[in-house]
Amino acid sequence: MPIDAAFDIISFTSFVVLVVLGLGVIASMMGIFNLGHGDFVLLGAYTVFVFDEAGLPVWLGMAVAPFAVALVGLVLERTVIRRFYAAPIIAMLGTYAIGVMIRESVRGLIGGLYHAIPEPVPGMIDFGEISISKWRLIVILITVLVVLGSYLLLKRTTLGLKIRASLENPGLARSAAISTGQIYALTFAFGCGLAGLAGALMVPAFSLSADLGVRFLIQAFLAIMLGGVGTFEGPIGGAAMIGATTAGFPWVMNPVLADVMVFVVAIVAIRLRPAGLFTRRRV
Amino acid sequence: MSDRQSANGGWGTLPRRRFLSSTAWTAGTVATGLGSWVVPAKWASAADPIKVGIATDLTGAIGIAGNACANTARMMVEEINAAGGVIGRPLELYIEDTASNESVAVNNVRKLVQRHRVDVVLGGITSSMRNAIKDVIVQRGRTLYIYPQLYEGRECTPYLFCTGPTPAQQCDALIPWLMADGAKRFAFPSANYIWPHRLNEYARKVVEANGGEVVFEEYYPLDQIEYSATVAKIMNENIDIVFFTVIPPGLAPFVKQVYEAGYQERGGRLSCVYYDENLLNFHPPHEMEGLVSCLDYFRAISDGGEHQFSADLHARYDAKFPDGPGFAAGSAATGIYRGLKMWEAAVNEAGNLERDDVAAAIDHAKIENGPGGGSEMVPGTYHCRMNMYIAVCKSGRYEIAQQSDGMVEPGECL
Repeated sequence: MPIDAAFDIISFTSFVVLVVLGLGVIASMMGIFNLGHGDFVLLGAYTVFVFDEAGLPVWLGMAVAPFAVALVGLVLERTVIRRFYAAPIIAMLGTYAIGVMIRESVRGLIGGLYHAIPEPVPGMIDFGEISISKWRLIVILITVLVVLGSYLLLKRTTLGLKIRASLENPGLARSAAISTGQIYALTFAFGCGLAGLAGALMVPAFSLSADLGVRFLIQAFLAIMLGGVGTFEGPIGGAAMIGATTAGFPWVMNPVLADVMVFVVAIVAIRLRPAGLFTRRRV
Repeated sequence: MSDRQSANGGWGTLPRRRFLSSTAWTAGTVATGLGSWVVPAKWASAADPIKVGIATDLTGAIGIAGNACANTARMMVEEINAAGGVIGRPLELYIEDTASNESVAVNNVRKLVQRHRVDVVLGGITSSMRNAIKDVIVQRGRTLYIYPQLYEGRECTPYLFCTGPTPAQQCDALIPWLMADGAKRFAFPSANYIWPHRLNEYARKVVEANGGEVVFEEYYPLDQIEYSATVAKIMNENIDIVFFTVIPPGLAPFVKQVYEAGYQERGGRLSCVYYDENLLNFHPPHEMEGLVSCLDYFRAISDGGEHQFSADLHARYDAKFPDGPGFAAGSAATGIYRGLKMWEAAVNEAGNLERDDVAAAIDHAKIENGPGGGSEMVPGTYHCRMNMYIAVCKSGRYEIAQQSDGMVEPGECL
């Protein structure tokens, strides 16, 4: 039973981490709080739905989704988002508006209905007494790989260096022949791609509906506040905490109370470490 | 006309009256916003058209049910007008979006009642929506209100008529049916709002009266999407029947987690009384296999050829609205049908649109035929008798398992 619980908690945490990763990259590396992030998640899920409807394999849709959503993100950055960099508050409103447009368009396209998407790898694995969902296990593995990959990209490659340079000091970065405009566009597209991946991977577990991304958005923002903006580890650590408390508290207390307790714990943590639990004197 | 125009300086200037009227029209459109639709009566008449207001959730989380309601009303108004209207006057339909949001809804409903001065309002899906808009319609608006959705009961407000099923209609036959093969241990996992609380209160009495036991009754935040703790409890406590009222967005992960834990495999059964055809796509068919619902209409009644009237009605709906939400009972579409037909009969009987006269006539209104059969208002109680059906999900469709022996009493406001 404890292993059972641990698996379920880790599995749910993976979904939250996946969503937060993209949001965190954009928030930390660009200083933009993308309130439309949940709807980029939805767009990823919708891409898988389109493939499924067309009779193509679901896994193919999942492979295409991050790139499709990244492309949408790129176009939006070039046309709309770039105008917001000077005004972060306006950016929140602007991205919220974009999110509403995406959400309501998808709602129209799917006829306001709910759609189940089959897992590419259905079924369960039995370990003696416990049986666990294969798909959830795969999502956990993919999450670990994606987090590692993103970490290496941002910390160990030249591109990552340029991205961090553009955040730290855009003026200096430009004078060092880094095109910050291009870097921002790439970063935003990357963050959107991660959102698309999150949506694509979670849709078999949660079914497609237009409001798929909304619930995760609130948790994701809480995770970022908790973990702290400005670093790579901050939002991920925050996401792990939010995911684990959201899934874990109902095991030990009344679910309605648990829901509140997640926020109480987060608020107390933020009060004690206003800059974030996982930041070292930055932001 | 021409005199005035020449006096004003001819065609070159905009006559004041036309300017005023077009300005008023523009202002009206701007203020009404995009959420409003007016379907004018097609035929002109000596008398003014009768205004029917629909206030329902066209957008937002339960847009699926709202659109099924609005579509049903559109089709019916067209059919009633084609048959000569009501008391010789055509119907004009005013549709407002309540947007799954009570504060938006109150403003839009006020528009229906105060600006358009509709003669009746049908709509509202959730109980919180009904509670938010009923005062605007019934008290301040002095208008009739018909609420079409299945709900928790205890709404006994004069001039407010409920045409959806009540807990008695949904539970009295269903729960003994679920227990027929010896199942005794129930779990009530529920969303934390008024409908599940009151429905469970009623269902618990029926379970206990039949010698069963509610092992746990638990409420979750409306947006909870992770149910591993609940599922573990269902499995460990050897629950026979999970009678749940979890709602989207938690619904899909809840049912999936129950399935993945092997609950159905070891003989457990799911039951939920708002499941209709519009929810069939919500889960893969194997996760819904064996799920039991109880409503006033299922498509299977039409498909089975048992009730020709329902079959024709459903076919007309499908032909008119081939895409999007279907004509389904859990989405309140059947309640809209009953409500509008009873109101039509009442207005014809009263011969006028005075609220008291129509309300007095609706109080004993009867319709011979409707989806799933006829129905009638129980005088003095604001609720309807109707046929009820227990249906079981098999391979992604519902099959009728039991049909009520005649109309079932609503058991409210006695």
